[in-house]
Amino acid sequence: MNNVTQIVQKVRQAPWRVQRQWIGLFLLGLVLAAMVAGIYLNITARATLAGRQIQMLQSNTVNDEPDITDNRRISSDLETQLAGLTSVESMQQRAEALGFQPASPDDMTYVIVPGYTPRKAVDMSTPSSDQPQAPSLLPDYTESLFDWITRRLASSVPAGGQP
Amino acid sequence: MRMIYFGRYLAIAIVMALAGIAIPIQIIRVQSSPEVAGITGQGAYIWKTFYPARGEIYDRHGHLLAGNKTVYEVGVDLTVEPDAQTIALAAQMALGMDPTEMLKKMTDVPDGTQYIVLDDFVAPDKAEQLMKLQENAQADPSGRNLDALHFKAHLMRSYPENDLASTVLGFVTEDNHGYLGVEEKYDNVLAGIPVTLLVPADPRRATEYPRIPPGQTLILTIDREIQAAVEHILDTALASTGAESGTIIVMDPRTGEILAMSSTPRMNLNEYQRVSEIFPGETPFNRAISQAYEPGSVFKILTMSAALDTGTVTPGTIFLDTGSITVGGNTIYNWDRGAWGYQDMTGCLAHSLNVCLAWVSTQMGNDSFYAYMQRFGLGHPTGVDLAGEDPGRLKLPGDGDWYPVDLGTNAFGQGVAVTPLQMVMAATAIANDGKMVYPHVLYAQLRDGHQSDMSPQIVGTPISTQTAHTIREMLANALESESSDALIPGYRIAGKTGTAQIPTPYGYYDSDNINASFIGWGPLDDPRFLAYVWLEKPQSNKAASVVVAPIFKQVIEKLIVLMNVPPDNVRLQNTGQ
Repeated sequence: MNNVTQIVQKVRQAPWRVQRQWIGLFLLGLVLAAMVAGIYLNITARATLAGRQIQMLQSNTVNDEPDITDNRRISSDLETQLAGLTSVESMQQRAEALGFQPASPDDMTYVIVPGYTPRKAVDMSTPSSDQPQAPSLLPDYTESLFDWITRRLASSVPAGGQP
Repeated sequence: MRMIYFGRYLAIAIVMALAGIAIPIQIIRVQSSPEVAGITGQGAYIWKTFYPARGEIYDRHGHLLAGNKTVYEVGVDLTVEPDAQTIALAAQMALGMDPTEMLKKMTDVPDGTQYIVLDDFVAPDKAEQLMKLQENAQADPSGRNLDALHFKAHLMRSYPENDLASTVLGFVTEDNHGYLGVEEKYDNVLAGIPVTLLVPADPRRATEYPRIPPGQTLILTIDREIQAAVEHILDTALASTGAESGTIIVMDPRTGEILAMSSTPRMNLNEYQRVSEIFPGETPFNRAISQAYEPGSVFKILTMSAALDTGTVTPGTIFLDTGSITVGGNTIYNWDRGAWGYQDMTGCLAHSLNVCLAWVSTQMGNDSFYAYMQRFGLGHPTGVDLAGEDPGRLKLPGDGDWYPVDLGTNAFGQGVAVTPLQMVMAATAIANDGKMVYPHVLYAQLRDGHQSDMSPQIVGTPISTQTAHTIREMLANALESESSDALIPGYRIAGKTGTAQIPTPYGYYDSDNINASFIGWGPLDDPRFLAYVWLEKPQSNKAASVVVAPIFKQVIEKLIVLMNVPPDNVRLQNTGQ
């Protein structure tokens, strides 16, 4: 029994085995470092892509896809086109083409309708006065790995700076 | 064997260790290298100016009067060695530009220039034509290309109603500056505030831009249906009377809201470059606020109001009209040089007797008469929110050009210069129970989705409520007794004509031409509208009662329909009176 124990102990303490353990540990560290580097590259690439998309959305170039500015411009342009199509002159022409004619006081018949309220001026207020705000970018899209580590470390320190 | 394995393991370990060290080093090196920073823009920031869209202008019912449309800036990127010949030819085809000039523009540029603008404010159809040429050129095997052409879309002012309410709106030039009318008066509000930001070029540092608020949207008191009707009536009136120019104002006398304001000439605001052609010399852009003139007999409503308010006369005061009166050493006659005998004050208004009104003003005296005229706001701008208002001229005792006879002539609207809007504002005191209201065209401002409505402002109470009721009754009776052409069956209105001679630069009055005016409001007991019509130098007739009263009637007939004003009997039945 003692012999067996001694043999096992010798094998464990064999120089080639110790060296192999060290190499294994080193390789383990290396793999971990490679994983961290890979994650870093992945996150940085995604953050860069997201940032580029944001820049494209904020930019104002005709050759790209319509962006926020373009959409606002197109909306304004369409509204003006619509106003032109429904201008007084256009509407009068369409009404005349349909056989209508301007009313005179003699054409009018007034009926008393209890509770009737005359036409009032327009109220163009939106239901909520708060304009929809673009969602703010999460720090995940902009911060680097080092920023993230710093932030996590800072957030782990209790208020007052006491560990 | 073990040594062999050890060597292999060691070699693998060294290689992997070197790789493990090299990768982070390379990452750091790449990120911090100036070449990569130059490509990605790391650390680089660009100053970028954001121009907010110009605020829109709507009428009181939400119809767009001034909006924005898309136009293009066409430029050439000089960093890609442009095919200047092809670009010049394409610009000639699509934009009608001189190719020689284009070539010169692209070649005679300072060193380091990266981009030049060929043309701006290009219409979408022309820009699209050029884009099509660019697209076709890409498939051209000859090597000609338009790759260096760049198109940048942006907005410019557009007026979908063309010339409707043009004298009220004013216009905006290509440099986004408003001129005349609302566009100039509210230029700062409409244009918004450009914001310049330092923007990171590095996509990893992309940040959220702050929201650039567009220019504020304005809602005017103008009703486009009434405006269109008034403009049509005015144009027709000018054609039928041969008048040189005309002006019509429609206002709500209870609030001072201007529902329509038109004068001639007008112009299509989308062609503002023609402004000097359409308004040559000193032609006013908006006569309603910019052209002071001697209004003639419409002024008598102010004189009589002042006299009633001071107690100088009552409606029943009898005046013996002998056909002339001497004031300050000068003799004043009636419009027909006739003597009308005994007249009460309503008769004086009904027959528009200059002699009677001159007597009234002399009974009041200088101090009282001119104090009242100033309380009516004469001689000062009304403060209307439109650019280019003329203050008019009310000569006062003590002024170098004031003479004692002016007390007599001013009483019937001679020797005093007012704008149509000044007369309208003064008349609101009579129509509105003595309270004179501030005339304005801004109904509301819209900012961040919140609408702020203007509140009516009373600028003074020149006469008492009792006086206002008395004078409006006298004016209604005067119209009815004369069977005026301005009357409309079923509606009781107050009003007064004005036939005024036109002073010449030589100190005498033009015997061939007149200014014909009419001011009136209704319904008498609850005024919803006040209208002022002025025709300059009508040729068809020299009497306002013949020329302008029917035009006033046309305006009122339209207002009744468009504003849903029922006849007096229906309205009073509804209110239980």
